[in-house]
Amino acid sequence: MTKKLALKRRGKDSEPTNEVVASSEASENEEEEEDLLQAVKDPGEDSTDDEGIDQEYHSDSSEELQFESDEEGNYLGRKQSSSAEEDEESSDEEDNEEEESTDGEEVEDEEKDSKSKQTDDKPSGSGAASKKALTAELPKRDSSKPEYQDSDTSDEEDIRNTVGNIPMHWYDEYKHIGYDWDAKKIIKPPQGDQIDEFLRKIEDPDFWRTVKDPLTGQDVRLTDEDIALIKRIVSGRIPNKDHEEYEPWIEWFTSEVEKMPIKNVPDHKRSFLPSVSEKKRVSRMVHALKMGWMKTTEEVEREKQAKRGPKFYMLWETDTSREHMRRIHDPVSAPKRDLPGHAESYNPPPEYLFDAKETKEWLKLKDEPHKRKLHFMPQKFKSLREVPAYSRYLRERFLRCLDLYLCPRAKRVKLNIDAEYLIPKLPSPRDLQPFPTVESMVYRGHTDLVRSVSVEPKGEYLVSGSDDKTVKIWEIATGRCIRTIETDEVVRCVAWCPNPKLSIIAVATGNRLLLVNPKVGDKVLVKKTDDLLAEAPSQDVIESERIKTAVQWSNAEADEQEKGVRVVITHFKPIRQVTWHGRGDYLATVMPEGANRSALIHQLSKRRSQIPFSKSKGLIQFVLFHPVKPCFFVATQHNIRIYDLVKQELVKKLLTNSKWISGMSIHPKGDNLLVSTYDKKMLWFDLDLSTKPYQTMRLHRNAVRSVAFHLRYPLFASGSDDQAVIVSHGMVYNDLLQNPLIVPLKKLQTHEKRDEFGVLDVNWHPVQPWVFSTGADSTIRLYT
Amino acid sequence: MDVDNGEGQVQVHLKTKQEHYAVPDVPYAIDGTVTTVELNTFVNALLRQKDGSSDTDFDFLVFDEYLRGRLCDHLREKAISFEDAIEIEYVERFPAPEPQDCLLHDDWVSAVKARGKWILSGCYDNTLNLWTNKGKHILTISGHTAPIKAVDWISLDEETGRFVSTSQDQTAMLWQWNVGSNSVECVSVCKGHERGVDSVSVSPDGLRFATGSWDTMLKVWSAELDDAVEGSSKRMKESGVRTPKITLQGHRESVSAVQWMDATTLLTGSWDHTLKVWDLSLEGIKTEISTNKSIFDASYSKLNRLILTASADKNLRLYDPRTNQGSVVRNTYLGHNAWVQTVMWSTTEEFLFVSGAYDNQNKLWDCRSPKAPLYDLLGHGEKVLDIDWSNPKYIVSGGVDNTVRVFKSRKALAEEAETK
Repeated sequence: MTKKLALKRRGKDSEPTNEVVASSEASENEEEEEDLLQAVKDPGEDSTDDEGIDQEYHSDSSEELQFESDEEGNYLGRKQSSSAEEDEESSDEEDNEEEESTDGEEVEDEEKDSKSKQTDDKPSGSGAASKKALTAELPKRDSSKPEYQDSDTSDEEDIRNTVGNIPMHWYDEYKHIGYDWDAKKIIKPPQGDQIDEFLRKIEDPDFWRTVKDPLTGQDVRLTDEDIALIKRIVSGRIPNKDHEEYEPWIEWFTSEVEKMPIKNVPDHKRSFLPSVSEKKRVSRMVHALKMGWMKTTEEVEREKQAKRGPKFYMLWETDTSREHMRRIHDPVSAPKRDLPGHAESYNPPPEYLFDAKETKEWLKLKDEPHKRKLHFMPQKFKSLREVPAYSRYLRERFLRCLDLYLCPRAKRVKLNIDAEYLIPKLPSPRDLQPFPTVESMVYRGHTDLVRSVSVEPKGEYLVSGSDDKTVKIWEIATGRCIRTIETDEVVRCVAWCPNPKLSIIAVATGNRLLLVNPKVGDKVLVKKTDDLLAEAPSQDVIESERIKTAVQWSNAEADEQEKGVRVVITHFKPIRQVTWHGRGDYLATVMPEGANRSALIHQLSKRRSQIPFSKSKGLIQFVLFHPVKPCFFVATQHNIRIYDLVKQELVKKLLTNSKWISGMSIHPKGDNLLVSTYDKKMLWFDLDLSTKPYQTMRLHRNAVRSVAFHLRYPLFASGSDDQAVIVSHGMVYNDLLQNPLIVPLKKLQTHEKRDEFGVLDVNWHPVQPWVFSTGADSTIRLYT
Repeated sequence: MDVDNGEGQVQVHLKTKQEHYAVPDVPYAIDGTVTTVELNTFVNALLRQKDGSSDTDFDFLVFDEYLRGRLCDHLREKAISFEDAIEIEYVERFPAPEPQDCLLHDDWVSAVKARGKWILSGCYDNTLNLWTNKGKHILTISGHTAPIKAVDWISLDEETGRFVSTSQDQTAMLWQWNVGSNSVECVSVCKGHERGVDSVSVSPDGLRFATGSWDTMLKVWSAELDDAVEGSSKRMKESGVRTPKITLQGHRESVSAVQWMDATTLLTGSWDHTLKVWDLSLEGIKTEISTNKSIFDASYSKLNRLILTASADKNLRLYDPRTNQGSVVRNTYLGHNAWVQTVMWSTTEEFLFVSGAYDNQNKLWDCRSPKAPLYDLLGHGEKVLDIDWSNPKYIVSGGVDNTVRVFKSRKALAEEAETK
C-alpha cells in the first residue's frame, strides 16, 4: 500500500532525537500526508481516508518506530507495553475491519467525522485537550502520529457538502441538504413517516448505534471503536485507550546533588569572578535609575496609570505657565493676541456698532491707523452665511507672524553699572574750599589783547602787559589803574620780581627787556631799588663775543626813566618770555628765533648775561627756574629738559608726547611740574616719579595757553582759548608714597572771544585764593 | 503747582513793643498763606477799630526773623509746628531813605565820613573834601601824595573840627579845620607804616586813633593836638611828624578794617581771613575769629555787640565776638551780587546796617532779615568804595563814579523834628 509506504518513509525521516524536532517533523509529515490524501482522492473514489485514523493505531508502524528509537539508545523496556497495547489494538482493528467491510468507505468517513464531532460536542470537551496532554506526555509514541489528526480544522474535513458550517435546519424545508463539490444538490434520503421509522427501529438490531449525519442527512452506524471511545469519555476516563496512566517515572533531571562534577573539565575561573562588564552595566543602570532616565517597571506602571487618567488641556496654556525653549533660557513668551470681543462678532450688539460720529472719527484717522480704537469697523450680518471673506486676513496673519518673529525672545541681562561707580572717588569740591568761584573784578583799560599778567609779591598790585604797547599797574582791591607805562613795541611778557625786597617789574617788549620800578608800595623799597639799578657795577669779567652780540645792558634814557624804566637789556631777537628766579637776582629770557642763543640768563646785581646752552635742542618755548634747587627747566616744542645750573648738565628729560608746549608752572615745593600744551592738554609731571606725565588732563576744549600753581593753596589754574579758566585742586603730599590729588574744581568762563583767542595768561594772587586771567578781550579778570 | 498748601489756619498772637500800636492780645486764626501785605491791612484794621487812627506800614517778625513771602513757607523753613500759637511781632516799617544829594568829585571817592552837618570825603586825587550835608562844597584839602584811603572825624564843635585821613602814601594826617575862617591846617603827619594805610578809626574819647595798613600793622596814635610824647625829638615836634604810640603786629595780611569797640578795645579785620579784637591795655589780641574769606570791612555795633564783615563772595556775615566759637557765622546776608567793599552798623537802630558793594548798590539791611535787604539805595553808577552812617540822619556813600551820594533817613529826621 502506498500509504504504508509513505508512513514508513515518514517514520524513517523522523528518527527524532528529541521531542521538539519530533513534533515539528510531525507537522511536516502531516502536510505530506495530506498531499498524499489528495493524491489518493483524486484518482478514484476509493478513498483511503480511514488510513488517517488507521495509522494512529497501526501497530506495525508504531512498532517500527519504536525500534528505531531503540536504536537511538533509549531504554527498551517499553517494547513490552507497546506490544501489549498492540494486542488490544489489533483486536480493535479487527473490529474495525469488520465494520469497514460492511459499511464501505463512505460510512467510514462519516464515522470519522461523527467521531470528531462527538469530541467537539461532548460536554466533557476536555477530551480532546486531555488527549493532547496525553500526546504531550508521551512524546515518543505520539511523534509517530499526526498530532492534529482529529482536530476540527475545516481543511481536513471531508467536505462532501459545501454549504459550510451553517445550521442545517435551514435546509429542513428543502429536498436537498446541500451541494456537493460538483455543485449538485445533495438530495436528502427519502424520509419515511413515523411508522416507517418505528418499524425500522424494530427491525434494525443496530438501531442503537445509528445516528444521522446532519450534513448529508444519511444514517451512520457507529463502529464499536467509536462506541468504546464514547464510553470511555462518558465514564470520565482518558479517551485515548493507548494512554498509560501509570508509566514508570523517568528522572531526567536528578534532584540529588552530585558530590563530584559530572564533567571532567574544571569550571573556568570567570565563573567564580563577578563579571566586570555586567557590573558596569549594572552600575550604569543604577545610575540611570538614580537620574530618573530609566524607570522601574513599577514606575512605568504608575506612569501609565497616570496617563490613562483623564487629560485636560488648557486652551490658553501659555497664559499661566512659562514657555519652555530649548535654546533660550528664561524666554520671554510671545505676545498674546487679544481675545476677540463683542465688536468682532459678525452680529455685534448694537452698542458696538459705530454711529455716524464714530465712523467719521474712524475714517478721519486714516493716515494714522494706530490711533484708532478699533482696527476695523464692526459690521452686522444677518447670519454667519452672509459674512464675506475677511480681506485683511493675510495681512493680519503676516503682521502677527512679524510680531512673533521680531519680538525679543530672550531677556537681555543689562549690565547695570552705575555711572557714578566709574567715576574715581574724588573729594567734593565743597570740601576743598577756598578756591575762586566767581568773577569779582574786571580790570578795564587796555585796548588790545592782554598777553601777560603778574602780581606783586605782597598782593596789593598787579601788572599787565598788552598788545597796545602799554604796561599797566593796577590796584587789585579797587580795580584802579595806577600807572600806565608806554613802550615802543608789543609787550609780550611782564614779570614782577618775586623778591619782596625789590620793586622791579621785568617787561619784555620787542627786542628789549625793560626793568621797571613801578613806584608803588613801600617808598623805602622803591628808593632802594632805584638806587640799586641806578649804577652799573664795574665789569670785571670780559664777556665773550657770543654774549656781546646777543645782549646789551644799558640804563634807561631820561624819558623812559620818567616812566619808571630803569634798565634796558637789548636782545638781538624779540623776547617772548621772561621769568624770575625766586630770589630776584636772576632772570631768564626766551627768544624763540635765537637759535642756539634763544635762552639767556641775566644776573641783575652784576648786570651780566649768560648763554647756558651752546647747542639748540629745538625751538625753545618756555623756561623756568626751579623754586629751590639750582635747576633750569627748558621746554622745547615737544620735550622738557631739566638742567642743573651748577653742574651744567642735563638732569632729566621729560617726555610730553604732545605737539606743542605753551607753558609751564612748577609747584612751589619743586617736585611737580604742570605743562600746558596747545593740543588742549595739561600734563602733570611728578618729577620724582617718572619722566612721563603722572596725569594728563583734557579739561579744555581748545589750546591751553597758560597754567599756574598757587604759591600757598593747593590750587592750580589753566587758561585756554576756549575762554575758560579752570581752577583745579592739586594737592601734593609730603608723604612721598602718596600721589598728588588732582580735582578739577571750577570752570570760570567770562572772557569774551576775540579772533580765536580766549584766555592768554593766568596767574594767582600770591596770598589769596584768587586767580587773575588776561584775555584777548583786552581785560584782566579777577576770580575770587 | 502746589500753590495753596497753606495747611489751613494758623493761630497767631500779634505783639508789638511799640505801645501806641498795641492791639488786644487775642489769638487770631489766620490763613497760612498770608503775606505781609495782608497782615498789614489786618493790623491796620485792628488799630482802626481801637482808636480809629492811622495808616502805618508794619513789618512782621516771626521768631526773630522778618516775614518775607508767605507765612506757611516761613514756618516750614524754620521747622515750626503749625499747631502752636505763633507769636508775630510787628514793628513799624523803617521808612525808605531818600536820595538827597550827589556830591561830585574829580576822582574816585574812597572814603567818606559824616559828622554833624558836615561830610568829609577822601578822594583818589589825593585830596580831602568837605561838604555840608546840603551838598555845598566847603573845602578841598590837599596834602597827601597818594590816594586817600580812609578818613575819620576826631572832634567837631562850632568853631573847629578835627579829622584824620590816611593814604596810600603810608601816612596818616591829622587836620584841624577852623569852621569860621574855613581854613585847614595839617596838625601833624603820622609816619610809621611801611605801606598804604587802609583804615582808620578814632577812639570814642577822641584822644587816640588807630590805623591799619597794608604792611599788616595796626598802629595806635595820639589824636591830641600837641602830642606830648616825652621821648619825641624837638625836630619831629616842629615838623609835626608823629610816631605811633602802639604798634600791634599780628595780622598776616593787610588790615582792612579798624574800629574801636570801647576805649581800650580795637576790632580789626584783615585780608588774612581773621577778625581780631585787641586789648590796648594789654597790647595784645583778646579774641580772634577766623573766617574763610578775606575781610574787606568789618563793623561792630555798640547796640547789639555783633560784628558784620564784608568779603569778596557777595555775602555779609554776622559774627558774635562774645561766644567761644566765634568763628561760627551767626547769619549770612546775601543780596549783593558782587564783591562787598564796605559795611556799617547804624549807630542808633539796633538791627539796621548799610552795605556798599561793587555791584553799584548800597543796601539797607535789618539783621533779622537775612534773605533780602530792606531797601536798595540806588544811585551810584559805579562801584561803591565806602559807606557811612555815623550820622543817623544821613547815609553817605562814595564810589568809583566820582560822587558821594547822600541818602536821607526819614525816621531819624522825623525823630529829630519830634525832639525839637
